[in-house]
Amino acid sequence: MVELRNVSVTYSNGVDALHDVTLKINDGEFAFVVGKSGAGKSTLIKLLLKEISPNSGKITVNGFDLEKLKKSKAHKLRRTIGFVFQDFKLINTMNVYDNVAFVLRSIDAPLKYIRNRVPYVISLVGLKDRVRSYPTELSGGEQQRVALARALVNDPQLIIADEPTGNLDPNTSIEIIELLKAINNCGTTVMMVTHEHELVRRFGGRTINIENGRITFDDYIGYTE
Amino acid sequence: MKISSMNYLFKQGMKNIWTNRIMSVASFCVLMVSLLLVGFMMLFIANINQFVGGIENKNEVVIFLEDVSESQIAAMQNTLNDMDNVSSVVFYSKEEALEDMKASMENADDLFGYVEDNPLPDAFRIRIADIEKISGTLMEINKMDGIDSIKSPTDFINILTGLKSFIGIISAVVLAALVVVSLVIISNASRASVDIRKREIAIMKLVGATNTFIKVPFFVEGMFIGILAGITAAAVTALGYSELVKMLSQDMTLWSIMSINGFIPLKSVIWQLSAGYLVVGTVIGALGTVMSTRKYLKV
Repeated sequence: MVELRNVSVTYSNGVDALHDVTLKINDGEFAFVVGKSGAGKSTLIKLLLKEISPNSGKITVNGFDLEKLKKSKAHKLRRTIGFVFQDFKLINTMNVYDNVAFVLRSIDAPLKYIRNRVPYVISLVGLKDRVRSYPTELSGGEQQRVALARALVNDPQLIIADEPTGNLDPNTSIEIIELLKAINNCGTTVMMVTHEHELVRRFGGRTINIENGRITFDDYIGYTE
Repeated sequence: MKISSMNYLFKQGMKNIWTNRIMSVASFCVLMVSLLLVGFMMLFIANINQFVGGIENKNEVVIFLEDVSESQIAAMQNTLNDMDNVSSVVFYSKEEALEDMKASMENADDLFGYVEDNPLPDAFRIRIADIEKISGTLMEINKMDGIDSIKSPTDFINILTGLKSFIGIISAVVLAALVVVSLVIISNASRASVDIRKREIAIMKLVGATNTFIKVPFFVEGMFIGILAGITAAAVTALGYSELVKMLSQDMTLWSIMSINGFIPLKSVIWQLSAGYLVVGTVIGALGTVMSTRKYLKV
């Protein structure tokens, strides 16, 4: 669950990135966050990861009160969240298996569990045959699938996808969102940030619009198909 | 942390050496050259000190005596022996002196036929332990009875002591400068090798890895490169130093003066030096890389 109450962020250069934002995404929801670049979407994500702290307001993510969470303990929060980024953020010196397994290794998971869980998650995103490939040998869509597998492997409560389709062609974009929807159907909360209104209209559902650091729209929109 | 995790991190560190092999080789070379520079500088200084010390040990003060009785001579010898700064006392009788003189003037045997009474004085030849305190010791000896005169290489000793402190200061400065330069170069090299992987570090942090988990492979990597650099530096020193000594003792006249006292033999220093290389190499290698990661761990 994600909850922001009266959150404001002003950067040291005076930019008012978020202004009195109040927002709640419940467990099991799928929410699109849309807005132009510079509207405050990135700031919102940085807040949820505790990369930055707000100037005022209260944020709760997966039961963590971010005000009370020390920066040095931020990894505890991050382990309950799966991330998917526009630029995939895969480690190029590791193959698909190791990229996905890294998350489990870093939390000291038992070796046996890693050996079962990682191939299973990779097969979920349909990359069974590319396990030993390196990111540079994969297409953009495939790389984003690896990133999805990595986000899923630790069975997170929440998945945050930051422009996951930004570098992909329309068909691949649809595939990725369908995968996210499938993950959401299994109970994981998904928050997808995007500026591609076409895609949002196509899938529909809860849509939150941010403009100039303020929420200007937060409601359900219907399917167009 | 589980053994399987430690195992993974160790392997990861070793793998990183290969994955980033160009930077690994660069770090290795920088570290090894730095160790060698400092090591050879230390050997050079040690040899200079040994050289100066060798000359110092050859110092000799000759004390000429008045015409004194044998019991008085024995008493004087005891007094000299008891002095702190006197390392050896040898009695040199006038008969010996005359024999030596005859021997050194082989062709003048006839001349000595005219000498009825030995005109040479009895003497003590003493060595001074700490050459810097020689003036005090000479004053003390002067107070004794039965002394005619003292011959000591005071000027030479003054030059030598001056030279020694000069060498001491210069070598300390050069060594310090060398250490500082090495550290700067090494820290830049390891920073560069970490810089290349800042994206990787940022990703690891984002997916929830702790700082320790990220640092361990860097630590392993730096340590291993450090150990390799230390071993190589030791091998290069062992080979290079003995070759250098061989070359210098053969060819150069300047150095052959030094080789009278002998260069410090490799055997007596190589183990300490190698141990030093290994410890310093490992510590600097490991700490250098780990400290360079800090900047990127604050995400």
